[in-house]
Amino acid sequence: MHDRLDHSMNEDAALAAALRALPAATPPADAWARLAARIVHRRRIRTGLRIALPAALAAGTVLAFAWPRGPGHQPSPPGHPVAQSAPAKAPAAGGLASLQAHSRQLQAWVHALDRDGPPLNGDALAQAVALQDRIGLIDLKISANRDPGTAASLWQQRNALLERLGLLHLQPDSVAEQHAAILQINTMVL
Amino acid sequence: MKPTSGFQQHVDPDLIARLQHGDLAAFEAVYRQFERAAWTLALRLTGRADVAHEVLQEALLKAFERAGQYRGDAPFAMWLRKLVVNEALMQLRHERLHMIEVFADDHADDGAPVPWVLVDAAVLDHALNRLPDTARAVLWLYHVEGCTHVEIAEQFGRSVSFSKSQLARATRRLRQLLQHSGEDMPCMIDSTTP
Repeated sequence: MHDRLDHSMNEDAALAAALRALPAATPPADAWARLAARIVHRRRIRTGLRIALPAALAAGTVLAFAWPRGPGHQPSPPGHPVAQSAPAKAPAAGGLASLQAHSRQLQAWVHALDRDGPPLNGDALAQAVALQDRIGLIDLKISANRDPGTAASLWQQRNALLERLGLLHLQPDSVAEQHAAILQINTMVL
Repeated sequence: MKPTSGFQQHVDPDLIARLQHGDLAAFEAVYRQFERAAWTLALRLTGRADVAHEVLQEALLKAFERAGQYRGDAPFAMWLRKLVVNEALMQLRHERLHMIEVFADDHADDGAPVPWVLVDAAVLDHALNRLPDTARAVLWLYHVEGCTHVEIAEQFGRSVSFSKSQLARATRRLRQLLQHSGEDMPCMIDSTTP
């Protein structure tokens, strides 16, 4: 019995040594880049929410008191000095140059909406940050890419994301929705 | 013999302090120090590169975001290892990768002992991957990471006897697999024999 126990312990030690001698594996080369991108992305969303939520709440509270109310009164929509529709799509067969020109148009359109439009609410802001991150990653790929076929696809992806980003600003949400929500909360409190 | 896990490494306290303040460069230094250990552990526990990739990402993301919760009551590397193990076991449960396995050959003859140290690494690696996930995970945690049966039982949320029986079964199964590989690929075994 004693021999058997000794044998078992020796075998365990030998097995452990054999397993520990197996070489360590190397993770995929892009693992750190992916991880770092996720960390930056999540950090930006949190930072954005920390700034935007109090601002949106403050704006909503102001609107709750200042918004014109009364029987038959229809508040006129706030005038936006920005275009309300996206620039026309680039022609499909326009080549890389037209995709890039279209991208510049879209970028200017998004910038104008961002500058002059109503503030985004928390949810839309999170979506906007996510879209901006994806656009940033595509920009990195574009700058590293040398293949014209891939370049066209990347510019198309960039344009599609810019369109989504612009449309996010045009959703009938943000301040107006918060105004309605705060009015409802005020009514409940009163 | 002491276990020689890749997690048996000292981490500079200044690096930990910087990481706890959200310093991404400090985190990259920690990542580089442990990437191979974490990846190897994830791969051994899950047995699949795609799942191991998820484990690595999620566990390390948690390490960065929860670094502030590390209190220093255990070595930092052990804290990190626990995150990887937890994530791997969670992924295994999520993927239902044969978490409840039946060893069809529980009562099979043990056969002759295997000269473990003479076994070719590639053959052992192959046999290891053919083990059921739980058995392989227990075997690895016990022999390589140096976890006790109590610790393994806690990780799996099971009893100590579960850990012991899984280890015994895994060893038996591994021995059988190696004996069969020796029959199938005599050259691979012979190549290590003096």
